[in-house]
Amino acid sequence: MAATTTNAAACSEEEAFDILDQLIDILERDPLIDEVGFVHPSQIQALSEGANTGSRSTEVFQKDEVLDNNDVQKKRWAFWHGDHKLGISTHFLPLLYVAAKHKFMASCMKYRISTEASKKQMDGDDQDIGISLAFSKIEMEVIRHSKALLLLCGDFGTAWNTRKHIGTSKQNLLLFMDELQLSTLILSVAPKTECAWSHRRWVIKMLAGSANLAEILEQESLLVEKLAEKSKMNYRAWNHRSWLVSYMSKQQMLHELAKSRNWAGLHVADNSCFHYRRRLMLGMLDNAMKEQDLIARSAEVESLSVVWKEELDWNEILIRRYIGREALWLHRGFLSICWAEKLIGYFSILDNGEATLGHAGNRLSMFVEHELRLHHLCSSVQDSEFDDYIKQAVLSAAYILHLHMQFSGRLRIQVVDKRQADDLRTLLHHVCPEKNWVWDYFLQT
Amino acid sequence: MGELAAEKHVRYILAVEKKKDSYEALLMEHLRMNGAYWGLTTLDLLGKLGVVDEAEVVSWIMECQHESGGFGGNVGHDPHILYTLSAVQVLALFDKIHVLDIDKVASYIASLQNEDGSFSGDIWGEVDTRFSYIAICALSLLHQLARIHVEKAVNYIVSCKNMDGGFGCTPGAESHAGQIFCCVAALAITGSLHHVDQDRLGWWLCERQDNKSGGLNGRPEKLPDVCYSWWVLSSLIMIDRVHWIDKNKLIKFILGCQDLEKGGISDRPDDAVDVFHTYFGIAGLSLLEYPGVKPIDPAYALPVDLVDRIFVLRRQPKA
Repeated sequence: MAATTTNAAACSEEEAFDILDQLIDILERDPLIDEVGFVHPSQIQALSEGANTGSRSTEVFQKDEVLDNNDVQKKRWAFWHGDHKLGISTHFLPLLYVAAKHKFMASCMKYRISTEASKKQMDGDDQDIGISLAFSKIEMEVIRHSKALLLLCGDFGTAWNTRKHIGTSKQNLLLFMDELQLSTLILSVAPKTECAWSHRRWVIKMLAGSANLAEILEQESLLVEKLAEKSKMNYRAWNHRSWLVSYMSKQQMLHELAKSRNWAGLHVADNSCFHYRRRLMLGMLDNAMKEQDLIARSAEVESLSVVWKEELDWNEILIRRYIGREALWLHRGFLSICWAEKLIGYFSILDNGEATLGHAGNRLSMFVEHELRLHHLCSSVQDSEFDDYIKQAVLSAAYILHLHMQFSGRLRIQVVDKRQADDLRTLLHHVCPEKNWVWDYFLQT
Repeated sequence: MGELAAEKHVRYILAVEKKKDSYEALLMEHLRMNGAYWGLTTLDLLGKLGVVDEAEVVSWIMECQHESGGFGGNVGHDPHILYTLSAVQVLALFDKIHVLDIDKVASYIASLQNEDGSFSGDIWGEVDTRFSYIAICALSLLHQLARIHVEKAVNYIVSCKNMDGGFGCTPGAESHAGQIFCCVAALAITGSLHHVDQDRLGWWLCERQDNKSGGLNGRPEKLPDVCYSWWVLSSLIMIDRVHWIDKNKLIKFILGCQDLEKGGISDRPDDAVDVFHTYFGIAGLSLLEYPGVKPIDPAYALPVDLVDRIFVLRRQPKA
C-alpha cells in the first residue's frame, strides 16, 4: 500500500464526491474568494482552533485507515474559509482531484453532446425550449466543476478550453470578468500557471473593443506587480505585462514607466522587471519614429530624450548603491546603445537640415567619457574578499566591452583606445579568468 | 568527478511510469504525452528502450488523437501542438510514424499557422515561438515542411530577436534560454541560421554558466538549473560556440544533481527529482559526449541514429 509519506486520504467514491461538493459549496457561497492556499493538515487544525467569528472550518469525518477494525471515525479538517480566503488541506488534494476530474469530464461530455444537438436544432424550424434550458443547466455544471478542477490543477487545459467555448457562445461581459477572477484565484495558488495567463489574454482580446479596456489594462499591470512580489522573475507574469504594452497609448506607457519605477528600485536583481521598462521605452521610441509629422516627431524625440536621460541617471545611482547586480548593468547596456544610436544624433540632423556629426560627435564622446569614468570607479576592487566587488568589476568591464563592440560596428567610434583596451584585458583576466577566451575574442576585433 | 548512475535512472523512469495514482502523477496527467517523450527518449539514450511495451505505448498514443488530427496530453484531453510534437517524436522512437495518417497530422499543424507566420498552440490562438519550433520540427520529421509558409515562419522568428541577440516568446519579449533554443533550432532546421548573430548570442549564452557550480541558468540573475544544460548547450552547439563554456564543470554539475539512491535527476543538487529534469540532464550529458549515453541531435532532440534513419537512410516520400 502507499507509504504514509504521501498521506493521501482513502475513501469511497461517494465520500469523495461529497467532499468535492463541500468545496464547490464554499466557492459558490463566497464568490469574492481572492486567495486559495494548500495547507498542511496541522495548519488547518491550527487555523480552525484559533478561528475568529468570521471564519469557518469544514470538518470532514473520515474513517481512520489504521483503526479500521474499531470503525473509529477520525475527524479531519478539509477546508478553512474566512476573510475571503480558502485553505485546502493537502491531505485531501489527491481524492479531490480525482473526483473533480471525473465530474468535469462527465459534464464536459454532456456539454459537447448538447452543443452538437442544439446546432442541429437550429437548423430546424421549431424552438425547443426544453433543450435550451437544459443547455444552461449543463453549462452551469461545466462552470462549477471546471472551477474546482482548475483550483486543484491549474494547467488542465481542457477545462479552460471548455470555459472558452461557453464564453464564446455567450459573449457576456460579466462572464468574461468571472473568467479573469478565476484566473486570478488560480494564480494566487500557482503564479506560473501558463494556461491561467493565456486565458487572461483570450479574455482581453474578446474585450478589445470595449470601453473599459484601459481600466482592465491597469488592473492587469497591478496584478503582475502584486504576484511578482512573491514569485520573483516570473517569466509568464512579466511576459503578460509586456504583452499589454501593445494595447497601450503613449500616455499609458509613460504612466506605466513612472508608476513602476519605485518597485524596480526595490527589486534590482529582477531582470524581468527591467526588461519590462525596456519594453515600454522601446514602445515609446517606435511610436515616436512612426510619427509622420516631422515637428510632432521631433517633439516626441525631445521628450523621450529627457525620459532616457532620467533613466540613465537613476540607473547609475542604483549601480553605485547595489554592487554587482547584473540586471542593472544589462539595463544600462540597453539604455546606452539606444541613446547613442537613436537619440543623441537626432537633433543635429534636424538643426540645419544636414547631418552635423561634429555636434552629435561631441555629445557622444562626452557620453563615452562619462561611461569610462563610471567604469573606473566600479572596477577599482576595494576588497577582493567580497564577491560583489569582483562581480561589479567584471560587469563594468563587460559593459564597456559591449559598448566598444557595438559602437565600433554601428557608429564607427572606438570607445577604448589601444592602451585602454590592454588595461581592460588585464583587468578581465584578473577578475574573471574563466572566460579569458571570450574577452580575448572580443578584444581582438 | 562522480559517475552516471544510468541503471538507477532507468529504474526510476520505469517506476514513475507505473505509479499513475501518486499525487505527483495525477497532477501531470494532462501532459502525460510530454512525460512519455521525456521518459522514453531518456531510456533510448541509455540504450534501454527495449524494456518498454511498445504496442501498449503506441496504442495509447493513438487513443489521444483528436478528430482534428492533433493530439491531447492524455486520453479525452483537448488537442494542442505541444502534445502533437511529443506524439510524433515517441512514434519516431519506435519507428512507428507510419501508423499515422500523416496528411491529417500535417493538416492540423499547418492550420495553426497565422497570417504573420507565427503559430498558435491550438484553436484558442495563443502565439509563442515554442509553437513555431514545434510545427517546424514535427513537420520536418514527417517530411511535410512544404505544408506551411516556411519563409513567413522564419521571418516571424527573426522578428522575435532582441538587442542582446537572444529570442523571446513573442516580439519584444525577454530573452530566455528555452525560447532561444526553440528559435535557433527552428532556424537550423529551415536552413536559416545566418539570421542569428552568433557572437552576440554566444556571449549571452555563455554568460549563463555559473563559475562556481558550473551549472547553467536560463536568464540573468537566476539560479542554475539542470534543464538549461539542454536549452543553452544545444543552442551553443547549433551556433558553433560550445567551446565558450566550461564543459567539465557542467558535467560535474549535472552529475551532482543525481539522486544516487533512488535514481532520477533534479533541477539542482539535493532537490527532488522528476522525469523532466532526468531527461534534460541525460540529454545534456549526451551533448557533452559522456560515455554510455547515445548521441542526441541538438535541433530535433532525438537520438542521432534515429534522425539519420528518418532523413538519410529512408527515401523521402513525395511532399
